[in-house]
Amino acid sequence: MYLTDEEKRILDGEQGEIARRCMEFLVAYGEAAGAEKLIDIDGTVDVHPGADWVPQYAVTVDEVRELAAKGEKFKVPTFSNKPVAPGFIIDGWEACGLPRNSDPEFHRKNLEALQPYMEMGMVPLFSCNDYLVSSFLPLVGQHCAWVESSAIPWVNAILGARSNFDGCFHTAYLGKAPAYDMHLDENRRATVLVRCETELKTDMDYDLFGWAVGEAVDIEVPALVGIGKPNYSQLVKMNSSLNTGGQVRMYHIPGITPEAPTVEAAFGGNKPREIVITREDLRRVYDKLNYAGKTEVDFVYLGCPHYNIQDVYRAATLLDGKKVKTKLWIMTNPSSYQVAVRMGLRDIIEKAGGILMSGTCPGALLETPEMQVMATDAAKQNYYLTGMFYPEKLDVWYGSMEDCINAAVTGKWSGEWR
Amino acid sequence: MTAEEKKIVLRGRKVVGGIAAGEALVSKEPLMGWLNVKAEKGYTTERNHPLCGVPFKGKILVFPTPRGSGGFVGYGRTVNFGTNPAAFVYTKGNNLTVFAAMNANIPTVTDLDQDPVQVIETGDYVIVNGDAGTVEVIKKEQN
Repeated sequence: MYLTDEEKRILDGEQGEIARRCMEFLVAYGEAAGAEKLIDIDGTVDVHPGADWVPQYAVTVDEVRELAAKGEKFKVPTFSNKPVAPGFIIDGWEACGLPRNSDPEFHRKNLEALQPYMEMGMVPLFSCNDYLVSSFLPLVGQHCAWVESSAIPWVNAILGARSNFDGCFHTAYLGKAPAYDMHLDENRRATVLVRCETELKTDMDYDLFGWAVGEAVDIEVPALVGIGKPNYSQLVKMNSSLNTGGQVRMYHIPGITPEAPTVEAAFGGNKPREIVITREDLRRVYDKLNYAGKTEVDFVYLGCPHYNIQDVYRAATLLDGKKVKTKLWIMTNPSSYQVAVRMGLRDIIEKAGGILMSGTCPGALLETPEMQVMATDAAKQNYYLTGMFYPEKLDVWYGSMEDCINAAVTGKWSGEWR
Repeated sequence: MTAEEKKIVLRGRKVVGGIAAGEALVSKEPLMGWLNVKAEKGYTTERNHPLCGVPFKGKILVFPTPRGSGGFVGYGRTVNFGTNPAAFVYTKGNNLTVFAAMNANIPTVTDLDQDPVQVIETGDYVIVNGDAGTVEVIKKEQN
């Protein structure tokens, strides 16, 4: 891989041992990925704080503390996605009922461990969709290093910025990433036209559609036509499913997303192969996600990806004046949590017997409250949690926000395909 | 080589160097990581997946693409538990597969001149040369 003189000097240790190790990682990673050079990040970095992609090149919390004490900063604007090592609840942990997470000491220690990253400039948004609340986003063509399933297609497709799934301390500290895959024009053009032949209306429709497309196109770049005008909640859900049911890190919606004013522009000379998604495809995914036996539900989880403030508002409105029979967690990002408190939404949810929380999810916590049967409105959380419980069988129902809140209030699942 | 066996050589690109040989375990479906891989057991836990619960320890793990979360590195973290495959061979990847390969530090080859998932079948004997970027396949006759 080609390195500039400055990059070679960093590799020789001119900027210290940690910068040397970070460069060593970027070079090893770039060579394994087939990159020809490094690129300077002129957008942003998004990290799962504390998580190292490749442990051989790990930078420990103690080392970050030393750097922070010396006044060292991240080279580029850096934001924190949800913490994963370990995952913990940022707000609303007090009544969660999980022994470890309801311990104030556990909470304090975890936040303390993130302090040095914040001193170096990491903005503590602590959310899988921190891009919804960051107040600072990359523009078209800017190079980034982000993480997280829904965030990767968001940065590439919706914002038109350029990122692989490689946000980490190393990319943030050096402000560089290997220049390959999503950083290069030729890998961003569509290769498959996806014609949606069913009207997408609800959040669930977009969640299921994203999954069906993901399964159909794997790691290709689709251009999506006939999908209507999704709102933000629907787009976030669709992105999450595109990159869980498949590996869609980039797509186009001709006429909506910035790199595709037209279908022709989306393909940029590539010859389109066409696939069609029908109502039957959505039904097939719905059935795959719905395989619980018992209709008695004892845990309802909402907020994967984290609910935005409109989602929290809708959920609180559905719960207003009611009482739930199940455990109910509604997860949002810490920024929207504060807004929800100010709006009185947390009170409404708590009066109904639910908990408003922020900053994590059962998958990131690696645990759930005690339960037999759960319900959720998120394809991603649904599909991963059963893997976490394997070989124990977990019963999970999947449906709309309304189906799930209805299950929380009645204690029974009555969601149906519509 | 006996009459029942025939050898095919696929040529591609090195991800991680080194040489490994063994029996292939082929996933026709993409592999999903994070909570759908149990590193300490060395198998995928994705329900509906043909290889759910099937250990890949010591095998040449052949798959088309990754899907899902960056937690795909779990396939590489199997090395911490001694449950890792002997090598990875995949059709098309991205940083998810690269990180998994770097974690495991086992011979890994991709971008081959033929689709390995089409050419290789579970049970074939495979020699992966990461340094040369080649995959030799000795087919077992299907009787």
